[in-house]
Amino acid sequence: MESGAIITAVIMWVVFIGGLSWCFSRWKRAGGKWED
Amino acid sequence: MERETWGKRGYFLFAALGSAIGLGNIWRFPHLAHTYGGGAFLIAWMIGLIVLGIPWLMMEFGIGRYFRSSAPGAFAGIGKRWEWLGWWPCWIAFGIITYYSVVLAWAVRYIAGSATMAWGVGKAGAEAAGGFFFGDVLHLSGGPAEIGAPVIALVICLVIVWVVTFLVTFKGTKVIGPVSQYAMIIAWAFLVVLVIRGITLPGAIDGLNYYLSTDLSQLATRGVWFAAFSQIAFTLSLGMAGMIAYGSFVTKKGDINNNAVITSLGNCATSFFAGFAVFSVVGFLMEALSVPVGEVSTSSVGLAFVSYPVAISMLPGANAFFGVIFFVALFLLGLSSLYFLTYGGVVAPLMDKFGWGRTKTTLGVCIVAFVIGILFTTPGGLYWGPDILDRAVAFYGLLITGALGSLVVGWVLPASKLREHINETSDFKVGAWFDWLLKIVVPVGLLFVVIQGGFLSDIPASYGGYPRWASNVMWWVLIGTLILSFVMQGCKTRGSD
Repeated sequence: MESGAIITAVIMWVVFIGGLSWCFSRWKRAGGKWED
Repeated sequence: MERETWGKRGYFLFAALGSAIGLGNIWRFPHLAHTYGGGAFLIAWMIGLIVLGIPWLMMEFGIGRYFRSSAPGAFAGIGKRWEWLGWWPCWIAFGIITYYSVVLAWAVRYIAGSATMAWGVGKAGAEAAGGFFFGDVLHLSGGPAEIGAPVIALVICLVIVWVVTFLVTFKGTKVIGPVSQYAMIIAWAFLVVLVIRGITLPGAIDGLNYYLSTDLSQLATRGVWFAAFSQIAFTLSLGMAGMIAYGSFVTKKGDINNNAVITSLGNCATSFFAGFAVFSVVGFLMEALSVPVGEVSTSSVGLAFVSYPVAISMLPGANAFFGVIFFVALFLLGLSSLYFLTYGGVVAPLMDKFGWGRTKTTLGVCIVAFVIGILFTTPGGLYWGPDILDRAVAFYGLLITGALGSLVVGWVLPASKLREHINETSDFKVGAWFDWLLKIVVPVGLLFVVIQGGFLSDIPASYGGYPRWASNVMWWVLIGTLILSFVMQGCKTRGSD
């Protein structure tokens, strides 16, 4: 795979996984549960 | 009577994700990323998500929960004279379900077809795949003037689609929530299988390079911004009334902001992931058939019902297994969008307006949509449903109602009141920038897409190369749904005495 494509893929996954992790950590910090 | 709720935050999230994630995540996004410079498109797309998609989604969830009503009731809550603006997206939703269900009927047909590899395996199957779809499945005619009789096999598949949709929706959120959870988990699991199979095929790397190779100079062109903003506008299933209804089932203490961001990121991550399944197979086909990328259909019905079946035929083994996996995933992703539109976009608004019971309303809507959908199972159906009607409602209708809705919420409600409401119960707060996004950026962004991608081309030259009389049906549908929206506003609301 070309280096540009690899860099693009890595950056996007960091953004998505990082963003979703941030959301779920805020949820947990606010005391939220799946059953709420 | 107490309004129904999701029961669990998790059910709401899965339902919202199921609504947002649909066929376009598979057959539109990867193609656009490839066409508009890979990383360049993704940059514009993420900017569009932040300034357009997320605020718009927060708005729809928010006004649903604020007014504890589906779209017409929510806009009536802003001011009685705005109720029509809540009905217009309902008519949009109804229009969409009539042909979207037929596309799912194709998927059902292909689940059965894949089990027996009806179009063949190997090179012979690859050559026959296109003819199988356009000939055996669709019996496609020469143009919109040749409608023909319904294709019985597709009508049977359409019955299956509507029976399943009815069974999921007639009990409301009580069933939609849990079903969405299982549907999404299974669909994602199948996507993982398809990605692993895809990236291990010979030629897959070339395909992935086509998908993600970055040409940053594209950011200086209007085309990439149009493509990115249009994809954001369509991908979150906004402007169709459903998300307002789904938001209205969130409890008073439920989060709006965080759920909107999770839904948006989850939806976009799925699109990005699906691109690996699509373009790994594109690369495989390029090598196996010795054709350039331009000869492999990478978008829309051509991708799903021709290119992918060609690839399935050419796989070194387990062809039927991967065929069934692909079309079941397609069916599940589309089904969750279909019942979202049916329940959130049509059934819930009718129940809220007229006080009708859920079972009868759901049955009535499913039957009427099925009967209209029979038109799209005919040899001319592809032109009229997934093309012309789709252009009218899922392009023009959605974008115009979205822009107008954002203006009314932003300036009349106004946005600051909504912001105060959604911040009260959210894991994080949005600032005053949210107001300006709703008031200016969202409407301008949507109007840019509809003018650039729609009016500028469809007025001078008829849409899709169709004869004028056929493409003009788009305008009649738009005007007709607008008139019907005012008619609905004029009807008496239960309890309004």
